[in-house]
Amino acid sequence: MASEVSSATVAARVRKVHPGNAATFFLLDVQMEVPSGISILFGPSGAGKSSLLDCIAGLAQPDAGRIAIDSGVVFDSEKGLNVQPQQRQIAYVFQALALFPHMTVEANVAYGLPHAPERERNERVSEILKMFRVEQFRHRKPREISGGEQQRVALARSLVTEPRVLLLDEPLTGLDTELKNSIIEDLRAWNAAHKIPVLYVTHSREEVDALGERVIAMEHGKIISEGTPREVLDAPRRRRLAQAAGFENLLSGTVLDLREPDGVMRVRLADATCEIEVPLGHAAPGDRVRIAIRAGDILLATEPPRALSARNILEGKIASIEHRGTLVVARVDCGVVFTVHVTPGAERALQLAVEKKVWLVLKTHSCHFVEG
Amino acid sequence: MRFPLRSLILLCALAVFRPAEAAHNIRVAAAADLKFALDELGMRYEKQSGSKIAVSYGSSGNFLAQIQNGAPFDVFLSADIEYPRKLEAAGLAEPGTLYAYALGRIVIWMPADTRVDLSKLGWKALLDPDIQKIAIGNPEHAPYGRAAVAALRNAGIYEQVRAKLVYGENIAQAAQFVASGNAQAGILALSLAISPPMREGKRWDIPTNMHPPIEQAAVILRNAKDKDGARAFLIFLKSAEARKILESYGFSVPASAKSQ
Amino acid sequence: MNVEALLLSLRLALCVAAILLVIGVPLAYWLAYSRWRWKFLLEAIVALPLVLPPTVLGFYMLLAMGPRGALGRLWYAAFGHGLAFTFAGLVIASVLYSLPFAVQPLIASFETVDRKLLDASSVLGAGRMRTFRRIILPLSLPGIITALVLSFAHTLGEFGVVLMVGGNLAGVTRTVSIDIYDRAQSLDYADANRTALLLLVISFVVLSAVYGVNRRAGHRAWASWPVK
Repeated sequence: MASEVSSATVAARVRKVHPGNAATFFLLDVQMEVPSGISILFGPSGAGKSSLLDCIAGLAQPDAGRIAIDSGVVFDSEKGLNVQPQQRQIAYVFQALALFPHMTVEANVAYGLPHAPERERNERVSEILKMFRVEQFRHRKPREISGGEQQRVALARSLVTEPRVLLLDEPLTGLDTELKNSIIEDLRAWNAAHKIPVLYVTHSREEVDALGERVIAMEHGKIISEGTPREVLDAPRRRRLAQAAGFENLLSGTVLDLREPDGVMRVRLADATCEIEVPLGHAAPGDRVRIAIRAGDILLATEPPRALSARNILEGKIASIEHRGTLVVARVDCGVVFTVHVTPGAERALQLAVEKKVWLVLKTHSCHFVEG
Repeated sequence: MRFPLRSLILLCALAVFRPAEAAHNIRVAAAADLKFALDELGMRYEKQSGSKIAVSYGSSGNFLAQIQNGAPFDVFLSADIEYPRKLEAAGLAEPGTLYAYALGRIVIWMPADTRVDLSKLGWKALLDPDIQKIAIGNPEHAPYGRAAVAALRNAGIYEQVRAKLVYGENIAQAAQFVASGNAQAGILALSLAISPPMREGKRWDIPTNMHPPIEQAAVILRNAKDKDGARAFLIFLKSAEARKILESYGFSVPASAKSQ
Repeated sequence: MNVEALLLSLRLALCVAAILLVIGVPLAYWLAYSRWRWKFLLEAIVALPLVLPPTVLGFYMLLAMGPRGALGRLWYAAFGHGLAFTFAGLVIASVLYSLPFAVQPLIASFETVDRKLLDASSVLGAGRMRTFRRIILPLSLPGIITALVLSFAHTLGEFGVVLMVGGNLAGVTRTVSIDIYDRAQSLDYADANRTALLLLVISFVVLSAVYGVNRRAGHRAWASWPVK
């Protein structure tokens, strides 16, 4: 059953004060337009992502703003308009799923269709159960099925109502990768047929990569960046976002000088004599800056390398080696401590050991200038 | 080491054994309908004798049960002579101290604003349709209730008013029912009817020959702590002064001091 | 042994429990979910019968039922006779007396229902009535049962209030507790004992049955829901 392809959008302008203590207080202040397709709301916890979703769904009321789904305004503080969640035709899958524990899977999924005639209701329920591959559990209670199956049921329950918007709040945390991918596939398939705006909240980079069409990065109640996953995540402009996005090395430094024709600037890393070249950024000599480098982007050599294109070669000593599954994490002290990832094969071939003298190789473009 | 210990023991002994006081302290268990009368009697007696009287008012039946289970009273002033008799029979009373201190009287009582002409109609007033509920004491265990039923039978109207009767746990509660207006009439103790809260109402005295005598009797209890004090109080109760006070509160007093 | 009094008490307890369910549920719902800042005052009022001596409550009920009281006047105008000394009067007084025993377990039960479930229900299009019927009610069943049983048991054992407003009329207001008291007052301790024992046994059986059922119901309704 394919419904018309909709070109729906969600346009939201929301401002809401979140009281709390010094650490938790923030002001949610966003303006966004979400087209159909999957948009990811990415950011650390406390950024206001769930709060924004609650406002769009009608479960929380913004202090000021306007929310419209397609051409229908569901919230307008100036006009005093606030449509109840029941009427907004929005699907919302919570992090905790909130499946009704006393009802079967079938009853859960049918819950949003009380007014449909019985035959039609049964058809739609069966169809969506099949689509999300949980048909065989229809007579079970939620506690009797696994985590991944519960997720699918939660999705099915929300989507059977043919909503105009789908909101998902970290729906896949705690599941293993394979399961996540399979559910994401089902979701994509569904969305290909229905094409509604989907707002997917996550703080997991993996999910961004797996899903990402569009990423909206939030921090502290504000949108700090929008665009493709590459654009938003690979060149983080904010420290916390950088941490969220998987940059194991966050180093402080001072700008020494700018070399505009080369498109680089030299930075001295704090408390050390190390100097590295990073891409030119918005800074002046003397500015304190932060540089983010992925541990997987750093090369390790046991002999001083020669004739390489990389501009940053730092000498140091291995301070520690840690094994995490198939990953070897080495911490190397070059005056500043770097975290480096190598494979076990490399560790064996180079005979890495603590105290061993090594050279680190950093490509200029692997060093990302981070604000704040 | 033994020297201070001995003094300590001596001190404790002194603390426990107080020298005999000139004044007495007696604890009295009294029927609820004696409230006003006994308050005044008690005051007079305290002034005269210098003793202190502590009175607990309540239902005679309750007191009986409590005394049977060791309640620490010295004197029991019951609304029904049956209870002191039972105590005597059970050996819980001082022999020879049973004394019928008063005869209760009953009246028909209605609130002042009743439209029924009680003084003219007398018994017939209870048949008036305006009178929907008549409060009396519980005849099963309250002597005033029994007397009320007997009087109603003697007046020949018991069957007619039976459906209207409501029963107070004791005569004081029956008074409460009428005073609050929930019952439109009541057969109450005279002592209650002339007490300050009820004084303003209309009342019709029921002749004493219409019911068996409501003998109220007192007795000194076997395990009274202060038998001398109790005895002195009983002597006061038999005095002319006390009898006058009792009469002023609506109790008849037997002509001669009756005992047994 | 006064079977009539026992049956009367059972009838009274059943009536009161049923009425308290009907008025207690909306009241508890409001108290559980309202965010009115003066809500705590209403909660205190509901809890008053817990601390007031029953005779005090009974005394004020007696006054209220009288010709000068608001309740009494209303009743008289409607039915042409007083409210005191009637079974209806006992029911009304007992409902007030047992109110917190019904309302408090109900509130506690409603409050344990996960708010997220209520949110999910709203988003799926269910209005408040539907959310209440299909989500809150089934999941609060243990609390509802507790409320029913507590009101029943509490009313069964009631004495002070009945004493004040009942008038001890056989078959109408002479409940089993009054009867036991009467027997004791009449020094018929043997009979009082027999009736008291029967009352004790019945109460114990009822309470055990309910707590037993509640244990199992608790398992069903409160199955540990894995929160991620």
